[in-house]
Amino acid sequence: MWKASVLGMKRIGALFVLFAFLTLLLSGCWNRRELNELAIAVAAGVDRVDDRYRLSVQVVVPGQVASKKAGGSQAPATLYTAEGDTIFEAARRMTQVSPRKIYFSHLRMFLIGESMARAGIAKFLDFLMRDHEFRTDFYLVTTKGATAEDTLKIMTPLESIPANKLFNSLQTSERVWSPSLTVTLDELINDLSNEGKHPILTGLEITGNREAGETPENVNAIKTDANLRFVGLAIFKVDKLIGWLNETESRGYRYIKGGVKSSVAFVPCGDKGKVTLETVRSHTKVTGKILGSKPEIEIKAFVEGNVGAVECRGLDLIQTKTIDELESKMEKKVEQLMKSVIAKVQEEYKVDIFGFGEAIRRSHPGFWRRHKEDWDDRFFPNLAVRIKVDYHIRRTGTLNNSFINDMKE
Amino acid sequence: MPLRRKHRQTGEIGHQGKSPDHSPDSSEDKLFPDLQANLKKIRQTLGNSSDIGIREIPLGESQKNYIAILYTDGLADQNKIYESIMKTVAHLASKAAGQQDQQSSPFSDGKRLLAEISLYNQQSRTVNDFFTLFRSLLSGDTVILVDGSAEGLIAGTKGWKDRGVMETSAENVVRGPREAFSESFRTNTSLIRRKIKDPNLWLETMQIGRVTHTDVGIMYINGIANPEIVQEVRDRLNRIDVDSILESGYIEEFIQDTTFTPFPTIYNTERPDVIAAELLEGKVAILVDGTPFVLVVPALLISFLHASEDYYQRADISSFLRILRYLSVFISLLGPSIYIAVTTFHQEMLPTQLLFGLAAQREQIPFPAFVEALLMELTFEILREAGVRLPKNIGSAISIVGTLVIGQAAVEAGIISAAMVIVVAITAISSFVLPAFNMSIAFRMLRFPLMALAGSFGLFGIFVGVMALILHLCSLRSFGVPYMAPLAPLIPESQKDSILRLPHWLLSTRPRLLSKANRTRRPGNPPKKSRSEN
Repeated sequence: MWKASVLGMKRIGALFVLFAFLTLLLSGCWNRRELNELAIAVAAGVDRVDDRYRLSVQVVVPGQVASKKAGGSQAPATLYTAEGDTIFEAARRMTQVSPRKIYFSHLRMFLIGESMARAGIAKFLDFLMRDHEFRTDFYLVTTKGATAEDTLKIMTPLESIPANKLFNSLQTSERVWSPSLTVTLDELINDLSNEGKHPILTGLEITGNREAGETPENVNAIKTDANLRFVGLAIFKVDKLIGWLNETESRGYRYIKGGVKSSVAFVPCGDKGKVTLETVRSHTKVTGKILGSKPEIEIKAFVEGNVGAVECRGLDLIQTKTIDELESKMEKKVEQLMKSVIAKVQEEYKVDIFGFGEAIRRSHPGFWRRHKEDWDDRFFPNLAVRIKVDYHIRRTGTLNNSFINDMKE
Repeated sequence: MPLRRKHRQTGEIGHQGKSPDHSPDSSEDKLFPDLQANLKKIRQTLGNSSDIGIREIPLGESQKNYIAILYTDGLADQNKIYESIMKTVAHLASKAAGQQDQQSSPFSDGKRLLAEISLYNQQSRTVNDFFTLFRSLLSGDTVILVDGSAEGLIAGTKGWKDRGVMETSAENVVRGPREAFSESFRTNTSLIRRKIKDPNLWLETMQIGRVTHTDVGIMYINGIANPEIVQEVRDRLNRIDVDSILESGYIEEFIQDTTFTPFPTIYNTERPDVIAAELLEGKVAILVDGTPFVLVVPALLISFLHASEDYYQRADISSFLRILRYLSVFISLLGPSIYIAVTTFHQEMLPTQLLFGLAAQREQIPFPAFVEALLMELTFEILREAGVRLPKNIGSAISIVGTLVIGQAAVEAGIISAAMVIVVAITAISSFVLPAFNMSIAFRMLRFPLMALAGSFGLFGIFVGVMALILHLCSLRSFGVPYMAPLAPLIPESQKDSILRLPHWLLSTRPRLLSKANRTRRPGNPPKKSRSEN
C-alpha cells in the first residue's frame, strides 16, 4: 500500500512537470490583449469613394478621457481612415496608421455616409454582423450633406468623446422629442430582410462652420462654431437612400410606429395663443384589412398627455368640457401629423416604410402572397389609411387655470 | 480511503485506567527490592537531572529503613506533596517513635505507609516497573519507594504553572463566551465538561509519542456520536507511531483522509463552546496536551465557513453574515483572476466608461495584468506573513511600508495600476472574513493557479479551474463523511443550517450523516405551541 502510494505520487509529480512544460507552449496566449494594446473604437463611419470603401474610425485616447489631470493637451479621440475594396480590408489596412489593433466591441455609433447610403448599404452590413468583435447594440445613422469622415472630425463640448455625444443625443431626442429613431444593427437587418417594410435611419448633419468644428477652439468657446445635429429620418428603398423626412414628418412617422415615450405638441387657443401638451405615453395598433379586393389599413393610436403650457386667456381647465375640447383638438393634430407623412411617402417615394405590407401579411397572408411583388408599386401609393386617435389628458401640471386669466386687461 | 502507514503494534498506546501500561521488555524493567539499586538506576536513567528531587527519609526505630520520595521539581505541586505525603510520613514516624517497644519490620512499616498515603491521595496507584515509574514521575506525579519492596506507589501530585484560561486570540466574537482552551489537558477537558454535564460525555485518554508520551483524549457524546466514526478515530490514533506529538497539528497530519489537498479535512478550534456544539452534533473531539487547539472530526467544508457567533446572534443577522462570508470566499478565490480575465480577454464585458478608465490607468504599466496581479498578491502575502511573525511593538512598521511604499508609490511610479491595488486589497480583506485561518490560507493558495489560468485562457480557464476545484471538493471525505455535505450530496433538511441559519426552534434535528442514532434536538414545533413529547 505504502509503496503504491509512493508510485502514485511519482506519477502525479511526473504529470505536474509535464504540465509545467506544456504551459511553455502557451506563452503566445491565444487572443490575449492587454488594455494598453487596444485602440478602443467608439464610432465608425463608412463613405463611398470611387467605388471603394473609406472607413473612418474614431478611437478614444484613454489618457485624455479618464485622467485625473483634466484637460490634457491632446484631443480626447483620434480618427483613423483607410480605404479598401472591401470594408474588412479597409479595417485591417488601418493598422498601417494606427499603432494598435482597432477594437470594435465598444462601438457606439456607426455612421453611414450619404454617398454610401445612396449606393446601397447591404454589402458591408454582413461584415458588421459576422465579425465577432462587433456587438449589435450600436446605433446606425446616416449623415446628411457631409461625409461620415468629416462628421467624425467635429469636436463636441460636454461629452468630450464625439461618439458619446452622438449616442446620448440620439437616445435623448428619441425619448423626449421623438423625431429621431435609434436603430441597432439587428433592427436594420430585420427591416432589410422583412417583406413589406423598408428601413429607416436617423439623419445626422453638421451645423455651423465645419472647418472651425475640427479644431479644439470649437470646444473652448461657450458658443460652439459647429455642432452635430440629428435631422429627421432617412427613407430607404430596400438598402438605398432615396429621400428625407423633415422633423414634423418624422414625428408623424414615430406616432404611426407607436412607442412615443414623450413629445410635445401644441393646439391653438383663443386668438393667437397656443396650448402646449406633453405626450407622456402612446400605443399604436396597425391592422390590415381587405375591403372587396382592396387592402386597407386601420391605425388606432392611444395617446396620453399632460397640459404643459397655456398662452391664452379664458381657458377654464377646471371644466371637463375644456379638457374634452383640447383632447379632440389634439386628436386631430396627431391625426394630421400621421396623415401628412403617409401622404408624402405615398406620393413622393412610394416605398412602404411604415410596415403596412407587413400588417396585411399578418392579417391576410393569402392576399399578401399573391400581391407582395407589386405591393410598393400598385397598392401602397393608393392605400386607404383610416386613422383613429384617442387622446387623453391626464394632468395639468402644477397649476389649474392659468394666471393669464386673472391678468389685468 | 484512509492513508495507511507502516506501523508497529506495540503496547505503548493503551487506555489509561483500563490496564496498566507495560513496556515492551517488562521482565527486565521490574523494580528491584533494594531501594539503593532502584535509586541508582533512576539516577542513571535520568542522567542526574537537577530538576528531579529525590528525598531519602529514614523510617522506623532503627532509622535504617529508608523510604525515597521522588518528584520532578516544577511539575509536582509542593503543597500536594506536603499535604498528602509528608504529613503522613511525619505522622507515621512519630507513631513509630511512640511504639518503640513493638518491634516492627521495615517491610511492614513501608507497606503501612504506602497504604496510608494512598488513603490520603485519591490519584495513587502502585507501580512495579520502571517504565510506568518514569512516565508518572516525568508527568508531575510523586513516586514513593520503600526499601525492601519491589513495589512502589505513585501519588498524583500534578500541579505546574500554566497560562490559565485566557481570552480567545484566533477566533474572536462580538457576542459569545470569551474563554479559550489553554495548554493544559485537564483544564481543557474541564472546560468542555462544564458546558455539557451529561454522563454520556465520554473521554478516552491515550498517550502518543514514544519520547514525548503526550496525552491525547477522544471526547464524544455516547449515543449521539456515530460509533463507527468513534472507532475509526480510535483506530487511526492507535496507528500513529512517532517519537513526538508537540501540537495537535502532528495528529491532524497523521489521521487526515487526504494529504494532497489544500483543504483541511479536520477542523480545529480554541473555543470550548465550538467543541461543545460540535459534540452535540455528533462529532468527535481530539484533545492534545500542550496545545489550546482541539481537533474535531469529521469536518465539513461549511463548518469552516460558519462562526460560533452565528448561533448566538439572531437568525436574520447570522444568515446575512453567512451570505456575506460566502461572497467573501468567492471574492478571495476569484477576485484577481476575474479582473485579469476580463481586462485581458473579455474587454467587451466592461461598461464602456469603465473600460476607458481602466485603459487610461494601464497606459504606462509595463507588465501584463497577470504579472501585475502576481506581483501585488505576492507582496501582500509577504506583508501578511511578516505581520504575523513581527514582534507586536514594531508591527505598525508593516502597515506603513504596506500602504505607503507598496500602495501609493507603486501606483505613482507607474508600475502597478490603481485598479489592481483595489482588486488586491478587496481580495485580501475578503480572505480575512473567514473564521478559520487554515481554510482562508487554502483559498489564498488556490488563487495563484486560478490567476495563471485566467492569464492564459481568460474566463474559460477560470471556469475549468473552478470546475476542477468543485470536483476535487466533492471527492474529499472526512472520516467517511462527504466533505461537501449537506450541499453535495444535497440533504434538504440540513439546509436549515448551512448557507442560512434558521431560528433555533426550527433546527430540530442533528445532521443525518453524523448522528445516526439520536437525531432529535427538540420536538419540531414552534416554541409558542405546547410541546408534545415525541
